[in-house]
Amino acid sequence: MQRRNFLILGSLVGLSAYTRGETVLFEKKRVKEIEQTIRAVQEHLFPKGSHLPSARDMDVTSYLFHAINHSCYDKEIRAFVIEGAKVLQTREKGHFTLLCEAEKERALRSYEETDDGKRWLEHIMVLTMEGMFGDPIYGANREASGWKALHTKGGEPRPKSRYIEL
Amino acid sequence: MSEPKYDVVIVGSGASGGAVAYMLCSAGYKVAVLEKGRLIKREEFSKDEIAYVRRDIVTPNLFEEYHTIEERVGGKWVTTPTYASGWSFWNGSIVGGSSNLMSGMLHRMHPDDFRLKSKYGDIAGANVVDWAMGYEELEPYYTLAEELVGISGKFQKHPFEPPRSTADFPQPPTDENGVVKLLDKCCHTLGIQPLVTPRAVLSQDKGERHACYYSNFCGSYGCSSGAKGSAREAFLKPALATGNLTLMTHTHVKQLYAGKKEVEHALVINTITGKERKIYAKLFVVAAQAHESARLLLNSANPYHPLGLANSSGEVGKNLIFSAGGSGQGELHQERLKEIKFDDLMHRGLFVNRSILDWYFVDHWWEGKFKGGLVEFMFEHQNIIARVCKKNEEAGRLVWGKALGERLVKRFTTHKSIRFEVFNDWLPTDNCFVTLDPTHKDKYGMPVGKLRLEGHPHDLKVGEYLAEKCEKILKEMGAENIYSSISSSPPQNLVAGGCRFGDDPKTSVLNKQCQTHDVSNLFVADASFMPTGGSVPYTWTIYANALRVGDHIVNRLKQK
Repeated sequence: MQRRNFLILGSLVGLSAYTRGETVLFEKKRVKEIEQTIRAVQEHLFPKGSHLPSARDMDVTSYLFHAINHSCYDKEIRAFVIEGAKVLQTREKGHFTLLCEAEKERALRSYEETDDGKRWLEHIMVLTMEGMFGDPIYGANREASGWKALHTKGGEPRPKSRYIEL
Repeated sequence: MSEPKYDVVIVGSGASGGAVAYMLCSAGYKVAVLEKGRLIKREEFSKDEIAYVRRDIVTPNLFEEYHTIEERVGGKWVTTPTYASGWSFWNGSIVGGSSNLMSGMLHRMHPDDFRLKSKYGDIAGANVVDWAMGYEELEPYYTLAEELVGISGKFQKHPFEPPRSTADFPQPPTDENGVVKLLDKCCHTLGIQPLVTPRAVLSQDKGERHACYYSNFCGSYGCSSGAKGSAREAFLKPALATGNLTLMTHTHVKQLYAGKKEVEHALVINTITGKERKIYAKLFVVAAQAHESARLLLNSANPYHPLGLANSSGEVGKNLIFSAGGSGQGELHQERLKEIKFDDLMHRGLFVNRSILDWYFVDHWWEGKFKGGLVEFMFEHQNIIARVCKKNEEAGRLVWGKALGERLVKRFTTHKSIRFEVFNDWLPTDNCFVTLDPTHKDKYGMPVGKLRLEGHPHDLKVGEYLAEKCEKILKEMGAENIYSSISSSPPQNLVAGGCRFGDDPKTSVLNKQCQTHDVSNLFVADASFMPTGGSVPYTWTIYANALRVGDHIVNRLKQK
């Protein structure tokens, strides 16, 4: 299990470039699938037409992957976020991203019925909201539109670098 | 080539380490302050919620450095490493320590806090003792801290307000939100006297520190104007200006090495290069925050001091205390708001600035006679991510989609939550202490601190008594969805005890001057010395006592 996680994480940070070419291709495909699944979930949770900016417009998926791959992020939660997406894929026989919105709602509500599913959705929700309502320097709160939607704004001074330049 | 020998080495640059350094450097002594974290300068601080609040940027990564926590579960003691729970007991590993990140609500302890046992007698299961000094001995240093830190406020007579040697605070209170008009009126209706909160935040410029600019994001963040009276702003910068202070960042102290009578050197490791070296001085001051100070002494055991440094009494680490209590809040809604305009309520950044001392001591024919506590009123922290993330469930299911959007916009535009925090004594007991974990080690190979944590049932009763009073105030204000939570779970940033001071070397670690009984050139200057904590945040007392200890060390060095 640990080794499997290592491979997944390694591929995300580029470590698996040292493995054989076929494995690299396989892992890249898996990572892309995970990313597409998470993106689809975020877009369902934060759709267009809401009072909030949509996940698609804010590109919160890029933020999510930057966040979980940063050295200061809890590595166990990082693994859980990735594993949880794979479980959702498996539950929906690899077709989650292709489902219509009503079917996605059914799939996610069903997943939410499980303890791990609920916990995973909570993490996706929090990571998405971090991007949408965190400082625009992190890339997802574009033109501070997350803050504007809530009629609020962040504090001054705003950061000049992400994570205070660790 | 041997290293320079400093007059004094101070382990830790937080509230107490900074204050001691200031006193010594001002008197002309050469001081080295050893800080494991980095320096974040005033101009580097920002209001980045992700960095400061949601990630371990100013504290160690829990997978590399952690504690183990022992709690009673189902009658058995269960130990959990903090990397597994996420419950960090680090509080700001940067120059100035957690004082950079405080909200700055400061209060002096009351004279009767120094003689709690004499006033109330024994409480079964609690190890309450009187302090080795009285309020009158600390009062001049409370006043000195008030001036140096720049505490703003307004003195108002109250039966439980400690006496003071100056007429009023050096600075007027910080600006206040209009909600205080409503809060004050409701308190008066209920026969309660609200007081203006003393705050370690400048309302006016002080030297090269600038007045508060009301950023709306104070607690948990460093201050970008220098208004907040952190140890970095109030003490370390002036100490550096004397030319007598050497500030060593990224310098973690693994052990203090002591011969039979005196500490000879500190064994330190550079946290970036991993290189170890020894730093020599005539005198050593430990100021690493209570639980870490005790850990350092225990980790410094050697053949001369087999139980740990300064631990012939076996008392090092024992009687660890926190601030007991909890918090509560309620929502003030636009459509039912009384007395004030909604726009005034929603005005960003201004403080609530109200404390209640009416129940600090309770002596009532029906409710009984007991030590109560302090209550602070404030707005719910304005962190945006924290506020959007909370309470997004209905009937056990997450709210998402358009319903979430409507919910969040309503939350941010139609009401504002006002909050209270309860501070009461955490009684010292045999089941709250820090020792060395027998198996877990940090990344430097040293045993981590193992904290056994259990509150005394009396603490909960007092906290609940106070919370009930506060809920009535919120109700009178017209607040909705009022709730409170009093917990026996300790706030990790309000920690004290573990190296009690006292006259008897058999029952205390430090003498009255916070010098260890066993080792003549070793002092512990942080909140470790406190046998009881009072019912106020510790910071002002830590500042004051560290200035007192610094003063004593100066006199001692002069005599030599």
